[in-house]
Amino acid sequence: MKRLLLLPVAGLLLAACGFSTSTDNASSDDGASEGGPWSYASGDGKTYTADSTPQRIIAQGEAAAALMSYGIKPVAIYSNDPVKTNKSLKGLDLSGIEILSETFGEIDGEKAAELRPDLIVSSYWPLEKAYGGFESGVKAEAKKVAKLAPVVGPAEGDSVVEKLEGYEELAVSLGADVSDPKIAASKKTFDEAVDRFETTVAGQKGLTTLAVSPADDLLYVAVPGEASELSDFQRWGLDIIDPDSPDPGFPYWENLSWENADKYQPDVILMDDRNAETSMKIAAGQPTWTSIKAAEADAIVMWPAYWIHTYSDYAEQLDLLSDALAKADPDLT
Amino acid sequence: MTLIQPSPVAVETAPQHRSRAVLATGFVLLLGLLAAVCFFSITLGSRGVGIPTIWKAFTDYDPSSASQTVIRELRVPRTLIGIFAGAALGISGAILQGVTRNPLADPGIMGINAGAAAFIVFGIMVLGAQDVSTYVWFAFAGAGVATVTVYGIASFGREGATPVKLALAGAAVTAILTSITSAIVMTNVEALNQLRFWQVGSLAGRYFPVFWQTVPFLAIGLVVALGTGRALNGLALGEDLALALGQRVRLTRVVMFVTVAVLCGAATAACGPIVFVGLIVPHIARMICGPDYRWILSYSLLLTPILLLAADIVGRLAVAPGELQVGVVLGVLGAPAFILLVRYRNLAEL
Repeated sequence: MKRLLLLPVAGLLLAACGFSTSTDNASSDDGASEGGPWSYASGDGKTYTADSTPQRIIAQGEAAAALMSYGIKPVAIYSNDPVKTNKSLKGLDLSGIEILSETFGEIDGEKAAELRPDLIVSSYWPLEKAYGGFESGVKAEAKKVAKLAPVVGPAEGDSVVEKLEGYEELAVSLGADVSDPKIAASKKTFDEAVDRFETTVAGQKGLTTLAVSPADDLLYVAVPGEASELSDFQRWGLDIIDPDSPDPGFPYWENLSWENADKYQPDVILMDDRNAETSMKIAAGQPTWTSIKAAEADAIVMWPAYWIHTYSDYAEQLDLLSDALAKADPDLT
Repeated sequence: MTLIQPSPVAVETAPQHRSRAVLATGFVLLLGLLAAVCFFSITLGSRGVGIPTIWKAFTDYDPSSASQTVIRELRVPRTLIGIFAGAALGISGAILQGVTRNPLADPGIMGINAGAAAFIVFGIMVLGAQDVSTYVWFAFAGAGVATVTVYGIASFGREGATPVKLALAGAAVTAILTSITSAIVMTNVEALNQLRFWQVGSLAGRYFPVFWQTVPFLAIGLVVALGTGRALNGLALGEDLALALGQRVRLTRVVMFVTVAVLCGAATAACGPIVFVGLIVPHIARMICGPDYRWILSYSLLLTPILLLAADIVGRLAVAPGELQVGVVLGVLGAPAFILLVRYRNLAEL
């Protein structure tokens, strides 16, 4: 998951490494004859169809969490990070599911092929024009896995809510029963969490925030428009500073040298929560970290960065944010 | 045993020999150039800071001023690390090229970078080291172990550590260490993040704590290294001749390898594996000075930090408000420079 941080560095070294989308458009694959004709309008703008409903699904970790919240269990998952520490897989019963990878950029191609998947599910990243796990820069073996079956999933980008709706649509196409009262209940909890978030933010007039991810040599500042949860927060009233010069090669972030750490002065720092402990240590070791007043005042709130894929996770994280933002000082800067 | 000086005749007949006065003048000029580069390294960066503020940072420091903090806590240690690590890399390259009589020798051929990286990864993954000040020591230990291993393997056999055996042993050990590193790293994405930094090399994000931890090794190593010029001149005549001149060849080699391991380990710990300077600078020095290693070492000592800091400044200004790692800049600028060097002049046979 930290790949969003990795690639700006890696990109320089992999400049010559071209990328070609390798989705087999509308492949109808093998002829397993159960279920009727299947189709899904995916995040890359294409509609994928099959003669029968796909049964054997390989899913990227976060996508697996989304599907499992609708009772669809994949045969295998590949994760960008160790399954034990992956935030979206926390608490899920993964028994009987093959783990094909716990590292970004790798997928065990041999195992994947043995599983004879009908479908591969992962979110689509519009900026990179690729599904998660098959971006440029991943190993050749991982890219080959994308040829085993059609890769589908809703797009990342504008809104987590839209993405969740996309996953629901996909789950329904795969035979999920959405009348399950548990699903309605988690949506209701989520709606309440959104209301609470909106009320909290509305009560904090003039509060500004900045979403960051500190690294040894640079401070990465997130572009809210390219992080679907940050876009949602903005829509719900939170003022997140838009960095003015995103990295043209990897526009999820503006790269600030530590010399320029104080370029933006928010009232609250939204800290990338992936490897947050390490990130905080790295930041604390930087002499200019406290030149950001919010860092000096320890006004730091965890930002659930890029990983939310279920209504229940989103509700939980929104509540945590509401609690923290309610205590923030809108007049710090 | 009487130590006989290497025949001055061999030095005198060298084609590029220049008079001592000329070389001494050049050395002073380089000192001036280094001072100038240091000045720019303090004054130029991805953040614009005016001269008055810089002056205040040294004379009347206000810790609450971000600009003054940038000067004192970021650019000063960065420049100091650049000077010492640069000098260490250049002089190590010169010694390695001399002692192995291999014009392509650089800290990479001895597996030093690979050793440092393997130990850092081991430190992070197995022992839970997380901040720079801890894994500095792993880098250092790794460089030492790699050097000893390579030298040990190459020393088997009657004729001792010959250049060819050293190069082969270095390649083999590098391969082993690299695969160990990959094996550990593949299981954890966090180590992969840290390691990417260690694979490129950078002067950013390294501050006084790192400087103080590495500078004793660098300073001592540099002093010892500067003293090896005469012995290298002897080795350059060939092992048999050096023996005939009364040199204790084996002991000399051991001292040089230990020195190089200390220098490169500490330099790698301070700023990651920085490539090219250790390879190119000794050749440039040899072009200027001719074959006398006492001068090659002295010139490498100054030329490398000048190049390293200049490249670092380019990296700071190229993509402001971000920065490019100096390792990337050196790769981009260093490769064409090396090709030019090869095109215009046959590299000295060693």
